[in-house]
Amino acid sequence: MTTRDDLFEFAEFDETESEHIAAPRYSYWKSVWKTFIRNKFTVFTAILLIALVAFAMIQPMISGYDPMVAPNINNSSMRFLSPSKEFIFGTDNVCNSVFDAVWSGARNSLFIAFICTFINMVIGIALGAVWGFSKRLDRIMIEVYNVLSNIPFLLLAMILQYIMGAGFKSLIIAMCCTDWIFVAYFIRTHVMIIRDREYNLASKCLGTKTWTMITKNILPYLISVIMTYVSRTIPAYISYEVFLSYMGLGLGAKNASLGKLISQYTSYMNSYPHLFWIPVLILATISISLYIVGQRLSDAADPRTHM
Amino acid sequence: MSNSSNKEVLLSLKGVDISFAKDGKKFRAVKNANFDIYRGETFSLVGESGSGKTTIGRAIMRINPLSAGEIIFKGKRISGKISKEEDMDVIRSIQMIFQDPAASLNERATIEYCVSEGLYNFHLYKDEEDRIAKVDAALESVGLLPEHKSRYPHEFSGGQRQRVGIARAMIMEPELIVADEPISALDVSIRAQVLNLMNKFKEEKGLTYLFIAHDLSVVRFISDRIAVIHLGRIVEIAETEDLFKYPLHPYTISLLSAVPMPDPIIEKQKDLVVYDESKRDLSGPKPILQEIRPGHFVFANDREMAEYEVKLQQMEKERAELDK
Repeated sequence: MTTRDDLFEFAEFDETESEHIAAPRYSYWKSVWKTFIRNKFTVFTAILLIALVAFAMIQPMISGYDPMVAPNINNSSMRFLSPSKEFIFGTDNVCNSVFDAVWSGARNSLFIAFICTFINMVIGIALGAVWGFSKRLDRIMIEVYNVLSNIPFLLLAMILQYIMGAGFKSLIIAMCCTDWIFVAYFIRTHVMIIRDREYNLASKCLGTKTWTMITKNILPYLISVIMTYVSRTIPAYISYEVFLSYMGLGLGAKNASLGKLISQYTSYMNSYPHLFWIPVLILATISISLYIVGQRLSDAADPRTHM
Repeated sequence: MSNSSNKEVLLSLKGVDISFAKDGKKFRAVKNANFDIYRGETFSLVGESGSGKTTIGRAIMRINPLSAGEIIFKGKRISGKISKEEDMDVIRSIQMIFQDPAASLNERATIEYCVSEGLYNFHLYKDEEDRIAKVDAALESVGLLPEHKSRYPHEFSGGQRQRVGIARAMIMEPELIVADEPISALDVSIRAQVLNLMNKFKEEKGLTYLFIAHDLSVVRFISDRIAVIHLGRIVEIAETEDLFKYPLHPYTISLLSAVPMPDPIIEKQKDLVVYDESKRDLSGPKPILQEIRPGHFVFANDREMAEYEVKLQQMEKERAELDK
């Protein structure tokens, strides 16, 4: 078979043209957002979570609920009312609205969980990043870790309660006293995994300082790992608080909390089971949605899912 | 080195030993390495995997500490502890091009940041405008477009990424570049592109390269002088054509025999020489690196030197007859 030359013509090749990238411009955070909202269930959970948190923050301000104030305590007709229009979740043993009590408790529990997570994360990430980088610091810190991680948490909480009295401060201190070391250890391990990768050697050869390496080369790679950790930590602190309050080591009588409500209502488990189940369900909903949203956010933060 | 006394020595390794210790066991990766690199030349280091070529390159970048000997750069010792100003100065003057362009770029940073990283560290720009102008110029000099600045490394092809790696080294205006197998991870079709780019910079800016490779056909194309390294020991140093014409050390011969010929008939008849140190006669005094012809060094003792001398004369005779 012969080919006819006049059927073909020379195509011109432009070298600069071959360098162009046809794909749309890539933006990291935009892609995170796009991946996150791709799943309808995730969006629904996120909206539910935001609504719950916002309601827990606002509702107590309107109701002005205070566990020390029980205006109807002597009015026996107000005791253990079933849910109605006036009292959405009914009333409890001291004739207060369970609805107000639950949201006020949720607010305090969330508040403590957020504060503790924030403090532990900031200390833990900053320390862990340096710890993972410095071999000299590692030798000291690993001993500090061995000591701190072996202090029984419950004992520490009890002692602090004795010294400082019950309240926000002692509870937050108890939960932040040793927990940062676990965050730091977790971050340290991850820093060590990527510390000696070639692009970090390249940065070193360009004279980049350790701190810039941490903020520009290491932490951006850890965003999704940190998000996973946070999404596990916040619900963990909520249940910690519940656990401590249930043990009588929580916030004290002046402040409501989900843990305290649950422990208080346990005695009515048989006669008025809704009293017990309402705070438990609120707790579960907040914890689970926090966990789901955090997980999905950390998945979305991984650029491998951005395709 | 006698024949090159008129050339300026830029970098010199003197009795360099590098060992790695693990669980009390010491492993000598580089044994007593001695060589000079002259300004403006491309000096290649060839050898098989694990022979210590990259270790030497990293020692010059001061990533691997020396266990003995010293490295002299422009007449000053740069190995071991040096002052902070000197350290910064050396970082600027010696830059590195890495083997794997995918692994050596920060994937969470834009090309703009990758290229300006050195500028930021040394504050080599007047203002923001000047920095961007410099980045644009560096990208253009390696054939990339200024619009690539806001892109991320994963959007580029292997060759483009390697050129970003070159741009980031070149923007520091270094004097010596350690190129650690810069084309091994690249597609065959774009290897020439990167090599030509490196040669272009050599001519334009009078750069000096330490080129680490295992592919002799590439090394022959790019280098002025070659050092052959085997199990951490430099066995032969010579000018490129000398080494290819008159290989002396058995290891060099076996390495050259492994270069594929683009002719299937020759390739099928070729005798592959496999180097096996245990089958060699290693009797006699301890060998050292000795100069057999001006600029041609070989690792041998006196007995071997005499053998090599005979062999070399024979080869020179054959070559002279061929040329007639």
